[in-house]
Amino acid sequence: MIAVALLLVAASATAAVATRDPARQALVLSVLGVVLAVLFTTLQAPDVGLSQLAVGAALTPLLLLLTVRKVRRRPRREEDPR
Amino acid sequence: MNGWLLAAAVVLTGGLGAALWGVATGPLRRRAVAQNLATVLAGSGLLLLAQGYDRPSYLDLALVLALLGPVGTLVFARLLADDLAADPPRARAATWATVGVAAATVAAVCAATGPGRAMGKLLVTGALLIGGNLIASRALSGGFGGVRGG
Repeated sequence: MIAVALLLVAASATAAVATRDPARQALVLSVLGVVLAVLFTTLQAPDVGLSQLAVGAALTPLLLLLTVRKVRRRPRREEDPR
Repeated sequence: MNGWLLAAAVVLTGGLGAALWGVATGPLRRRAVAQNLATVLAGSGLLLLAQGYDRPSYLDLALVLALLGPVGTLVFARLLADDLAADPPRARAATWATVGVAAATVAAVCAATGPGRAMGKLLVTGALLIGGNLIASRALSGGFGGVRGG
């Protein structure tokens, strides 16, 4: 069971690193957070898994996407994309 | 390794593996749908794990995931709305297959638990998991026109 979860974590982490576009990376990161929570559960640490779920499944993608949005909007307003 | 853990391993490898493949490759719409389905499959896996380890308190994890998974997907649906509106995702078959897996899991674990408070919690978790997923996939495919833009 632990091996299955570890394999999934390794695969999703590799996918997250291999993805270039930040918006798509946020999607992979969200899946990685969920898979990490499953790994913590198989390691008998559900309390760690709970906080990992809260942070990984919702908070990290939200922050990433908000940042991407802000960065993308700025050149349009200044009309001087460097 | 009992039957529940085996079932959890199958759901996690097959379901989450497929979702991982979907989220790592392909166009944006497929990635968004795969991310949504990954939360449901992980929720089913967590339910099976709680039953397999014989620790009812592990159900809290599935409950929290059932609450937060759709929230995460709605974040994507809201902030990627412009990209998704141009190319709306349609994955009815995959969505209903995943919902079927989740419903079967909830039914099996309910049957093993027997009536009582634990079963009520299980049913609430399952309803949240399935309902949240359906709402989130509808939002992804542009079902709620009013929340667009801005």
